[in-house]
Amino acid sequence: MSESITSSPAITVRDFIAQAPEQLELRVLAGAGGAEGRELTVPRIQKLGLALAGFTNYIHTGRLQIVGQSEIWFLGQLDSEKRAEAIRHLSLERISCVLVTKGLEPPVELVEEAERAGLPLLQTPLVSSIAINVVTDFLQEALAPRAVRHGVLLDVYGLGVLIEGTSGIGKSECALDLISRGHRLVSDDVIEVKRIGTDKVIGSAPELLREHLEIRGLGILNIRDLFGVSAISSAKTLDLSIKLERWDRAGEVDRLGIDPRSTEVLGVRVPQVLIPVSPGRNLSTLVETAVRIQLLRSRGYDAAQEFVARHTLILESKQ
Amino acid sequence: MVECRVVVVNRLGLHARAASQVVRLANQFQSTIRLERADGSAVADAKSILSVLMLAAARGTELRAVAEGVDEREALDRLCELFAKGFGEEAEK
Repeated sequence: MSESITSSPAITVRDFIAQAPEQLELRVLAGAGGAEGRELTVPRIQKLGLALAGFTNYIHTGRLQIVGQSEIWFLGQLDSEKRAEAIRHLSLERISCVLVTKGLEPPVELVEEAERAGLPLLQTPLVSSIAINVVTDFLQEALAPRAVRHGVLLDVYGLGVLIEGTSGIGKSECALDLISRGHRLVSDDVIEVKRIGTDKVIGSAPELLREHLEIRGLGILNIRDLFGVSAISSAKTLDLSIKLERWDRAGEVDRLGIDPRSTEVLGVRVPQVLIPVSPGRNLSTLVETAVRIQLLRSRGYDAAQEFVARHTLILESKQ
Repeated sequence: MVECRVVVVNRLGLHARAASQVVRLANQFQSTIRLERADGSAVADAKSILSVLMLAAARGTELRAVAEGVDEREALDRLCELFAKGFGEEAEK
Protein backbone atom coordinates (compact mmCIF):
# COMPACT_ATOMS: atom_id res chain seq x y z
CA MET A 1 0.00 0.00 0.00
CA SER A 2 1.32 3.45 0.84
CA GLU A 3 4.60 2.00 1.91
CA SER A 4 8.04 2.23 0.43
CA ILE A 5 11.09 0.35 1.58
CA THR A 6 13.77 2.92 2.29
CA SER A 7 16.84 0.83 2.88
CA SER A 8 18.14 -2.66 2.35
CA PRO A 9 19.35 -4.20 5.56
CA ALA A 10 23.11 -3.69 5.66
CA ILE A 11 25.51 -1.61 7.72
CA THR A 12 29.10 -0.88 6.81
CA VAL A 13 31.69 -1.92 9.34
CA ARG A 14 32.70 1.72 9.59
CA ASP A 15 29.17 2.68 10.67
CA PHE A 16 29.10 -0.27 13.02
CA ILE A 17 32.27 0.97 14.72
CA ALA A 18 30.93 4.51 14.88
CA GLN A 19 27.44 3.66 16.15
CA ALA A 20 28.01 0.57 18.29
CA PRO A 21 26.94 0.86 21.94
CA GLU A 22 29.54 2.54 24.13
CA GLN A 23 29.71 -0.37 26.53
CA LEU A 24 31.54 -2.36 23.83
CA GLU A 25 34.45 0.14 24.10
CA LEU A 26 35.59 -0.92 20.65
CA ARG A 27 39.24 -0.54 19.71
CA VAL A 28 40.39 -1.01 16.16
CA LEU A 29 43.55 -3.15 16.20
CA ALA A 30 44.06 -3.45 12.45
CA GLY A 31 42.47 -3.26 9.04
CA ALA A 32 40.70 0.07 9.49
CA GLY A 33 41.16 0.72 5.77
CA GLY A 34 38.64 -2.00 4.88
CA ALA A 35 35.90 -0.79 7.22
CA GLU A 36 34.19 1.34 4.59
CA GLY A 37 33.94 -1.38 1.97
CA ARG A 38 32.74 -4.22 4.20
CA GLU A 39 29.20 -4.73 5.36
CA LEU A 40 27.38 -6.61 8.07
CA THR A 41 24.07 -7.98 6.78
CA VAL A 42 23.03 -10.53 9.42
CA PRO A 43 22.41 -9.73 13.09
CA ARG A 44 23.62 -13.17 14.26
CA ILE A 45 27.32 -13.44 14.99
CA GLN A 46 29.60 -16.40 14.30
CA LYS A 47 32.51 -17.74 16.28
CA LEU A 48 35.57 -18.44 14.20
CA GLY A 49 36.08 -21.69 16.12
CA LEU A 50 36.44 -24.61 13.74
CA ALA A 51 37.33 -22.34 10.83
CA LEU A 52 40.75 -21.94 12.46
CA ALA A 53 41.22 -25.70 12.29
CA GLY A 54 40.66 -25.61 8.54
CA PHE A 55 36.90 -26.10 8.35
CA THR A 56 36.16 -22.80 6.65
CA ASN A 57 33.10 -23.80 4.59
CA TYR A 58 30.59 -22.32 6.98
CA ILE A 59 32.09 -18.86 7.30
CA HIS A 60 29.31 -16.48 6.43
CA THR A 61 30.20 -13.21 4.75
CA GLY A 62 28.14 -10.48 6.35
CA ARG A 63 28.35 -11.78 9.90
CA LEU A 64 30.54 -10.49 12.65
CA GLN A 65 33.14 -13.10 13.65
CA ILE A 66 33.86 -13.47 17.34
CA VAL A 67 37.29 -14.52 18.56
CA GLY A 68 37.22 -15.47 22.21
CA GLN A 69 39.35 -17.30 24.72
CA SER A 70 39.10 -20.69 22.99
CA GLU A 71 40.21 -19.34 19.61
CA ILE A 72 43.13 -17.50 21.20
CA TRP A 73 44.17 -20.61 23.12
CA PHE A 74 43.91 -22.72 20.00
CA LEU A 75 46.08 -20.31 18.01
CA GLY A 76 48.49 -19.99 20.93
CA GLN A 77 49.33 -23.67 21.00
CA LEU A 78 50.29 -23.72 17.31
CA ASP A 79 53.78 -22.82 16.27
CA SER A 80 54.21 -19.56 14.43
CA GLU A 81 54.25 -21.09 10.95
CA LYS A 82 51.11 -23.21 11.49
CA ARG A 83 49.40 -20.22 13.04
CA ALA A 84 50.12 -18.02 10.01
CA GLU A 85 48.89 -20.80 7.75
CA ALA A 86 45.66 -21.28 9.75
CA ILE A 87 45.00 -17.56 9.51
CA ARG A 88 45.74 -17.28 5.79
CA HIS A 89 43.52 -20.30 5.17
CA LEU A 90 40.54 -18.31 6.51
CA SER A 91 40.58 -16.20 3.33
CA LEU A 92 40.24 -12.98 5.24
CA GLU A 93 38.88 -11.16 2.19
CA ARG A 94 35.57 -12.97 2.68
CA ILE A 95 35.19 -11.99 6.32
CA SER A 96 33.43 -8.73 7.17
CA CYS A 97 34.83 -8.06 10.58
CA VAL A 98 36.45 -9.82 13.54
CA LEU A 99 35.84 -8.94 17.16
CA VAL A 100 38.26 -10.15 19.82
CA THR A 101 36.57 -10.31 23.22
CA LYS A 102 37.67 -10.13 26.86
CA GLY A 103 40.43 -7.66 25.95
CA LEU A 104 42.55 -10.57 24.67
CA GLU A 105 45.61 -9.83 22.59
CA PRO A 106 45.33 -11.56 19.21
CA PRO A 107 48.49 -13.20 17.87
CA VAL A 108 50.68 -10.90 15.85
CA GLU A 109 50.12 -13.05 12.73
CA LEU A 110 46.40 -12.29 12.85
CA VAL A 111 47.03 -8.56 13.28
CA GLU A 112 49.44 -8.52 10.34
CA GLU A 113 47.20 -10.55 8.04
CA ALA A 114 44.15 -8.45 8.94
CA GLU A 115 46.06 -5.27 8.18
CA ARG A 116 47.23 -6.69 4.88
CA ALA A 117 43.75 -7.86 3.86
CA GLY A 118 42.05 -4.70 5.11
CA LEU A 119 39.96 -6.79 7.49
CA PRO A 120 38.78 -4.69 10.46
CA LEU A 121 40.07 -6.40 13.60
CA LEU A 122 38.31 -5.04 16.68
CA GLN A 123 38.70 -5.60 20.37
CA THR A 124 36.34 -5.25 23.32
CA PRO A 125 36.94 -5.71 27.04
CA LEU A 126 33.58 -7.52 27.41
CA VAL A 127 33.52 -11.30 27.73
CA SER A 128 32.13 -13.19 24.73
CA SER A 129 28.68 -13.96 26.15
CA ILE A 130 27.95 -10.32 26.94
CA ALA A 131 29.65 -8.94 23.84
CA ILE A 132 27.56 -11.28 21.68
CA ASN A 133 24.34 -10.07 23.31
CA VAL A 134 25.24 -6.44 22.90
CA VAL A 135 26.32 -6.86 19.27
CA THR A 136 23.25 -8.93 18.35
CA ASP A 137 20.85 -6.45 19.96
CA PHE A 138 22.49 -3.58 18.17
CA LEU A 139 22.55 -5.32 14.79
CA GLN A 140 18.96 -6.52 15.08
CA GLU A 141 17.91 -2.94 15.52
CA ALA A 142 20.27 -1.58 12.86
CA LEU A 143 19.39 -4.25 10.29
CA ALA A 144 15.62 -4.31 10.90
CA PRO A 145 13.60 -4.00 7.66
CA ARG A 146 12.39 -0.42 7.38
CA ALA A 147 9.83 1.49 5.41
CA VAL A 148 7.94 4.73 5.39
CA ARG A 149 4.20 4.81 5.84
CA HIS A 150 1.82 7.72 5.51
CA GLY A 151 -0.73 8.55 8.17
CA VAL A 152 -0.73 9.64 11.79
CA LEU A 153 0.54 7.40 14.55
CA LEU A 154 -0.83 7.90 18.05
CA ASP A 155 -0.80 6.15 21.36
CA VAL A 156 -4.46 5.72 22.36
CA TYR A 157 -5.15 3.92 25.64
CA GLY A 158 -1.74 2.31 25.28
CA LEU A 159 -2.31 0.91 21.79
CA GLY A 160 -0.36 2.16 18.80
CA VAL A 161 -3.01 3.44 16.41
CA LEU A 162 -2.19 4.31 12.82
CA ILE A 163 -4.76 6.60 11.22
CA GLU A 164 -4.73 6.29 7.44
CA GLY A 165 -6.74 7.72 4.59
CA THR A 166 -6.44 9.95 1.56
CA SER A 167 -5.08 13.46 1.85
CA GLY A 168 -7.58 15.97 3.23
CA ILE A 169 -9.89 13.42 4.84
CA GLY A 170 -9.12 14.75 8.30
CA LYS A 171 -6.43 12.51 9.76
CA SER A 172 -4.52 15.34 11.43
CA GLU A 173 -7.71 16.99 12.72
CA CYS A 174 -8.77 13.67 14.19
CA ALA A 175 -5.32 13.32 15.76
CA LEU A 176 -5.53 16.81 17.27
CA ASP A 177 -8.89 15.97 18.77
CA LEU A 178 -7.45 12.79 20.28
CA ILE A 179 -4.43 14.66 21.63
CA SER A 180 -6.70 17.22 23.31
CA ARG A 181 -8.44 14.29 24.97
CA GLY A 182 -5.17 13.19 26.50
CA HIS A 183 -3.81 10.72 23.96
CA ARG A 184 -0.28 10.97 22.64
CA LEU A 185 1.19 11.82 19.26
CA VAL A 186 3.99 9.71 17.84
CA SER A 187 4.22 11.04 14.30
CA ASP A 188 2.18 13.02 11.81
CA ASP A 189 2.15 12.38 8.06
CA VAL A 190 5.39 10.43 7.70
CA ILE A 191 6.00 7.42 9.87
CA GLU A 192 9.20 5.44 9.86
CA VAL A 193 8.35 1.82 10.51
CA LYS A 194 10.69 -1.01 11.26
CA ARG A 195 10.02 -4.67 11.85
CA ILE A 196 11.37 -6.29 14.97
CA GLY A 197 11.45 -10.07 14.75
CA THR A 198 8.66 -11.51 12.64
CA ASP A 199 5.47 -10.15 14.19
CA LYS A 200 6.08 -6.68 15.52
CA VAL A 201 6.31 -3.35 13.73
CA ILE A 202 7.42 -0.19 15.49
CA GLY A 203 6.67 3.26 14.16
CA SER A 204 8.42 6.49 15.01
CA ALA A 205 8.74 10.03 13.72
CA PRO A 206 11.51 11.24 11.44
CA GLU A 207 13.80 13.56 13.41
CA LEU A 208 12.52 16.71 11.68
CA LEU A 209 8.83 16.02 12.19
CA ARG A 210 9.03 14.84 15.77
CA GLU A 211 6.41 16.47 18.06
CA HIS A 212 4.86 18.38 15.16
CA LEU A 213 1.43 18.26 13.62
CA GLU A 214 0.21 20.15 10.59
CA ILE A 215 -3.38 21.40 10.57
CA ARG A 216 -4.83 23.21 7.59
CA GLY A 217 -5.61 26.75 8.65
CA LEU A 218 -3.44 26.62 11.77
CA GLY A 219 -0.15 25.64 10.20
CA ILE A 220 2.54 23.60 11.89
CA LEU A 221 1.93 23.04 15.60
CA ASN A 222 4.42 21.95 18.20
CA ILE A 223 2.43 19.51 20.28
CA ARG A 224 4.90 19.45 23.14
CA ASP A 225 4.71 23.25 23.53
CA LEU A 226 0.94 23.32 23.22
CA PHE A 227 -0.07 20.26 25.26
CA GLY A 228 2.97 19.33 27.30
CA VAL A 229 5.37 16.45 27.35
CA SER A 230 2.69 13.90 28.17
CA ALA A 231 1.07 14.51 24.76
CA ILE A 232 3.92 13.00 22.79
CA SER A 233 5.53 9.61 22.55
CA SER A 234 8.71 8.72 20.73
CA ALA A 235 7.93 5.31 19.27
CA LYS A 236 5.06 2.86 19.36
CA THR A 237 4.15 -0.60 18.11
CA LEU A 238 1.52 -0.64 15.36
CA ASP A 239 -1.40 -2.42 17.01
CA LEU A 240 -4.36 -1.11 15.04
CA SER A 241 -4.92 0.68 11.76
CA ILE A 242 -7.89 3.01 11.37
CA LYS A 243 -8.73 3.72 7.77
CA LEU A 244 -10.82 6.81 7.18
CA GLU A 245 -12.81 6.79 3.96
CA ARG A 246 -15.41 9.08 2.41
CA TRP A 247 -18.91 7.81 3.17
CA ASP A 248 -19.85 7.42 -0.51
CA ARG A 249 -16.78 5.32 -1.22
CA ALA A 250 -17.00 3.09 1.83
CA GLY A 251 -19.38 0.65 0.16
CA GLU A 252 -18.21 -2.49 1.87
CA VAL A 253 -18.41 -1.25 5.43
CA ASP A 254 -18.97 -4.08 7.89
CA ARG A 255 -22.27 -3.23 9.57
CA LEU A 256 -21.99 -5.92 12.20
CA GLY A 257 -18.31 -5.80 12.97
CA ILE A 258 -17.90 -9.52 12.39
CA ASP A 259 -15.56 -9.47 9.41
CA PRO A 260 -12.13 -8.56 10.70
CA ARG A 261 -10.02 -6.62 8.19
CA SER A 262 -6.30 -6.19 8.30
CA THR A 263 -3.53 -4.39 6.52
CA GLU A 264 0.05 -5.41 5.98
CA VAL A 265 3.03 -3.44 7.19
CA LEU A 266 6.45 -4.89 6.36
CA GLY A 267 4.86 -8.32 6.06
CA VAL A 268 3.16 -8.13 9.47
CA ARG A 269 -0.65 -8.21 9.59
CA VAL A 270 -2.15 -5.34 11.55
CA PRO A 271 -5.89 -5.35 12.36
CA GLN A 272 -7.74 -2.60 10.55
CA VAL A 273 -11.05 -0.81 11.06
CA LEU A 274 -12.66 1.05 8.19
CA ILE A 275 -14.49 4.15 9.38
CA PRO A 276 -16.61 6.10 6.90
CA VAL A 277 -16.32 9.85 7.33
CA SER A 278 -19.26 12.20 7.04
CA PRO A 279 -20.48 15.36 8.76
CA GLY A 280 -21.89 14.69 12.19
CA ARG A 281 -19.69 11.71 12.93
CA ASN A 282 -17.29 12.43 15.74
CA LEU A 283 -14.14 10.74 14.53
CA SER A 284 -12.16 10.86 17.75
CA THR A 285 -14.97 9.18 19.69
CA LEU A 286 -15.18 6.54 16.97
CA VAL A 287 -11.42 5.96 17.09
CA GLU A 288 -11.42 5.73 20.89
CA THR A 289 -14.25 3.22 20.72
CA ALA A 290 -12.51 1.19 18.01
CA VAL A 291 -9.49 1.00 20.32
CA ARG A 292 -11.65 -0.14 23.23
CA ILE A 293 -13.15 -2.84 21.01
CA GLN A 294 -9.66 -3.91 19.95
CA LEU A 295 -8.54 -4.06 23.58
CA LEU A 296 -11.48 -6.33 24.40
CA ARG A 297 -10.87 -8.48 21.32
CA SER A 298 -7.23 -8.94 22.21
CA ARG A 299 -8.46 -10.28 25.55
CA GLY A 300 -10.81 -12.72 23.85
CA TYR A 301 -14.11 -10.88 24.08
CA ASP A 302 -15.96 -9.90 20.92
CA ALA A 303 -19.37 -8.33 21.40
CA ALA A 304 -20.38 -8.59 17.74
CA GLN A 305 -19.58 -12.31 17.63
CA GLU A 306 -21.57 -12.90 20.81
CA PHE A 307 -24.49 -10.98 19.43
CA VAL A 308 -24.46 -13.03 16.23
CA ALA A 309 -24.24 -16.24 18.24
CA ARG A 310 -27.31 -15.22 20.26
CA HIS A 311 -29.18 -14.37 17.08
CA THR A 312 -28.26 -17.72 15.55
CA LEU A 313 -29.59 -19.51 18.64
CA ILE A 314 -32.90 -17.69 18.31
CA LEU A 315 -33.14 -18.60 14.61
CA GLU A 316 -32.41 -22.22 15.37
CA SER A 317 -35.01 -22.38 18.12
CA LYS A 318 -37.61 -21.18 15.62
CA GLN A 319 -36.93 -23.87 13.09
CA MET B 1 -45.51 1.24 -3.99
CA VAL B 2 -44.68 -2.29 -5.08
CA GLU B 3 -44.51 -5.47 -3.08
CA CYS B 4 -43.75 -9.15 -3.41
CA ARG B 5 -43.61 -12.27 -1.29
CA VAL B 6 -40.25 -13.83 -0.51
CA VAL B 7 -39.42 -17.01 1.34
CA VAL B 8 -36.25 -17.58 3.31
CA VAL B 9 -34.88 -20.66 1.55
CA ASN B 10 -31.36 -21.03 2.86
CA ARG B 11 -30.63 -23.46 5.64
CA LEU B 12 -29.45 -20.96 8.25
CA GLY B 13 -32.33 -18.56 7.76
CA LEU B 14 -31.90 -14.80 7.71
CA HIS B 15 -28.78 -14.97 9.83
CA ALA B 16 -26.32 -12.18 10.50
CA ARG B 17 -24.31 -12.37 7.29
CA ALA B 18 -27.42 -12.78 5.15
CA ALA B 19 -29.01 -9.83 6.91
CA SER B 20 -25.97 -7.70 6.24
CA GLN B 21 -26.25 -8.56 2.52
CA VAL B 22 -29.89 -7.44 2.56
CA VAL B 23 -28.94 -4.18 4.24
CA ARG B 24 -26.05 -3.54 1.90
CA LEU B 25 -28.30 -4.07 -1.10
CA ALA B 26 -31.14 -1.97 0.29
CA ASN B 27 -28.80 0.93 0.93
CA GLN B 28 -27.96 1.11 -2.76
CA PHE B 29 -31.48 2.38 -3.49
CA GLN B 30 -33.26 5.60 -2.68
CA SER B 31 -36.62 3.92 -2.09
CA THR B 32 -37.71 2.99 1.40
CA ILE B 33 -37.79 -0.77 1.68
CA ARG B 34 -39.68 -2.73 4.32
CA LEU B 35 -39.65 -6.38 5.19
CA GLU B 36 -42.68 -7.72 7.06
CA ARG B 37 -43.42 -11.13 8.42
CA ALA B 38 -46.38 -12.47 6.46
CA ASP B 39 -48.37 -12.88 9.68
CA GLY B 40 -47.78 -9.20 10.45
CA SER B 41 -45.96 -9.92 13.71
CA ALA B 42 -42.86 -7.91 12.80
CA VAL B 43 -41.85 -5.15 10.43
CA ALA B 44 -38.28 -4.19 9.55
CA ASP B 45 -36.59 -1.35 7.74
CA ALA B 46 -34.40 -3.20 5.23
CA LYS B 47 -31.72 -0.51 5.52
CA SER B 48 -31.18 -1.10 9.23
CA ILE B 49 -29.19 -4.15 10.25
CA LEU B 50 -30.62 -4.49 13.76
CA SER B 51 -34.11 -4.11 12.44
CA VAL B 52 -33.61 -6.90 9.89
CA LEU B 53 -32.06 -9.15 12.51
CA MET B 54 -35.10 -8.59 14.76
CA LEU B 55 -37.26 -10.34 12.17
CA ALA B 56 -35.60 -13.54 13.38
CA ALA B 57 -36.63 -15.18 10.12
CA ALA B 58 -35.69 -18.84 10.20
CA ARG B 59 -35.68 -21.07 7.15
CA GLY B 60 -39.11 -21.31 5.56
CA THR B 61 -40.34 -18.00 6.93
CA GLU B 62 -42.51 -16.09 4.52
CA LEU B 63 -41.92 -12.36 4.26
CA ARG B 64 -43.54 -9.50 2.42
CA ALA B 65 -41.11 -7.04 0.82
CA VAL B 66 -42.46 -3.58 0.16
CA ALA B 67 -40.60 -0.86 -1.72
CA GLU B 68 -41.66 2.70 -2.26
CA GLY B 69 -39.79 5.41 -4.15
CA VAL B 70 -38.25 6.36 -7.46
CA ASP B 71 -36.35 3.11 -7.92
CA GLU B 72 -38.84 0.82 -6.17
CA ARG B 73 -39.19 -1.68 -9.02
CA GLU B 74 -35.49 -2.38 -9.40
CA ALA B 75 -34.97 -2.44 -5.64
CA LEU B 76 -37.69 -5.02 -5.17
CA ASP B 77 -36.49 -7.20 -8.04
CA ARG B 78 -32.94 -7.27 -6.73
CA LEU B 79 -34.12 -8.04 -3.20
CA CYS B 80 -36.35 -10.90 -4.32
CA GLU B 81 -33.49 -12.27 -6.36
CA LEU B 82 -31.19 -12.18 -3.30
CA PHE B 83 -33.71 -14.15 -1.23
CA ALA B 84 -34.41 -16.59 -4.07
CA LYS B 85 -30.80 -17.56 -4.50
CA GLY B 86 -30.45 -18.08 -0.75
CA PHE B 87 -27.90 -15.26 -0.32
CA GLY B 88 -25.46 -17.08 -2.54
CA GLU B 89 -25.03 -19.83 0.00
CA GLU B 90 -25.23 -23.57 -0.54
CA ALA B 91 -27.74 -24.80 -3.14
CA GLU B 92 -30.93 -25.83 -1.35
CA LYS B 93 -32.67 -29.10 -1.99
